[in-house]
Amino acid sequence: MAVTAKAFQLWRQEIAPTDSVSDLCRSAGIKRSTLAQQLVRGKVSVSTLLAVARGYGLDPVCALAQFEGYTDLLTGMRAPTSAELLSQVSHRDILKLLVARGEGIGNGLSDLDPFPHRNSVRAWVEAIDPGDLRQQLSERSGIARQNLSAQLSAGRLSPGLAIEASRIAGVSLTSGLVVTGLLTCAEGGWPVTGRADALNALSDTDLVLLARDRLDALGKQLRKADADENRDRAIWDNLG
Amino acid sequence: MSGHPIQWAALLLCVLGALLRVPGVRRGRGRMIFAALVLMAIAVALSLPPIYLPVDGVLGGWNAANLVIRLSLYAVVVLLGLRMAAAFGAERVRTLIVGPAGITVLLVTVAATLILFALSDLPVSSTGLAEYAGQPTVEQYADIGRLYPGYVSACLVVPAATGSLRSGSRPAHRIACFLLAAGFFSVLCFAVLELFQGLDLGVFEVVLPFGAILLVVSGLTLIWFSRRRGRPRQRNPLA
Repeated sequence: MAVTAKAFQLWRQEIAPTDSVSDLCRSAGIKRSTLAQQLVRGKVSVSTLLAVARGYGLDPVCALAQFEGYTDLLTGMRAPTSAELLSQVSHRDILKLLVARGEGIGNGLSDLDPFPHRNSVRAWVEAIDPGDLRQQLSERSGIARQNLSAQLSAGRLSPGLAIEASRIAGVSLTSGLVVTGLLTCAEGGWPVTGRADALNALSDTDLVLLARDRLDALGKQLRKADADENRDRAIWDNLG
Repeated sequence: MSGHPIQWAALLLCVLGALLRVPGVRRGRGRMIFAALVLMAIAVALSLPPIYLPVDGVLGGWNAANLVIRLSLYAVVVLLGLRMAAAFGAERVRTLIVGPAGITVLLVTVAATLILFALSDLPVSSTGLAEYAGQPTVEQYADIGRLYPGYVSACLVVPAATGSLRSGSRPAHRIACFLLAAGFFSVLCFAVLELFQGLDLGVFEVVLPFGAILLVVSGLTLIWFSRRRGRPRQRNPLA
């Protein structure tokens, strides 16, 4: 959900009364044409807004919280749950820890793969899902179920939907913005070592079960990708 | 009147599509589709008076060229049908085309075409047999000539349309499948609508069949380009 150009302009005059649009873009490190286009369309994207806030040294979450639809952001910001943190650990790190524990060469990992990873968004949605998250999300936001699925498959989730999902699941409202890469860990209130701590705290059993679930999901994904590839190949071989 | 522009466009596209595939064919790749495109180009060329009349003159002036169109189109339909069925992994469609039922339909169609042609009185060259439109045997000959392509197209519409809806496929393939599905659907519509006597299709009389050729050849050519440019997806799947 983008913010209105009008609200953005008012906010811009507040934070940088003397700067032109060009100055603003230079400070924020965004393209002038991008912002100009968004202003003409009457909607400024959340990522643009966050870039501008960062450019002027403002706290991105505080800045976003001044806009309609996001006003509960600050009060709804909490520490992430362990499930959320684990959802952002890559399967490779999970397997590394499993092997390390099996070989008796250490109980914990400290250097995790960066995130968001390829499945960050879907993994997060599954981690916070109380059971009918997609259903509720589509009812409340009016987005069709298959469009929601398409976004998740493509590794995307619009900021509005991400926050709405957090509201439904009762988790920190900034989590969705962190896992979609709009906010950094620090900005979104995720402790820097949070993921590693959550991973290392797992019992052996939970670690193995987590690894199984991840490999299961990965296997399904690969099988689907193989099937797609084979279909493409059949079309090339027979008609190309 | 020397042919509708869409006929010339279809001819041009068939010839271009076939020429693009020449290098591949010389390496032994895509021979059936190439043959189908060449035969389609011949059939389309013979639908144009400036080509039909001289060619038919060489063949003796008794409209044998029209028979060539019909038989070429049957061959085109069989070749395309088989390749499409393999491309879409549609085993049932293959059975419908070259299984016992499909072969029977084809043989009956060819036999009926030859017999009806022989029974018709066609003394003078006439493109599309337009001058003999009133003869019952000519009408039936034309109907049969549309029904067999209509039958095979009907088998192919669903697999092609399914291919265009598959979200995991390459965008080029989805577009190509859509073009193919639209083309087959046009052939089917044309075959069915023409069965109704006295129904005047107006400009669609030309647009439906030749539009179908444009759609199908565009789809095939798009797939050809996609294969030329296509590389396996490089992303490490385990990353």
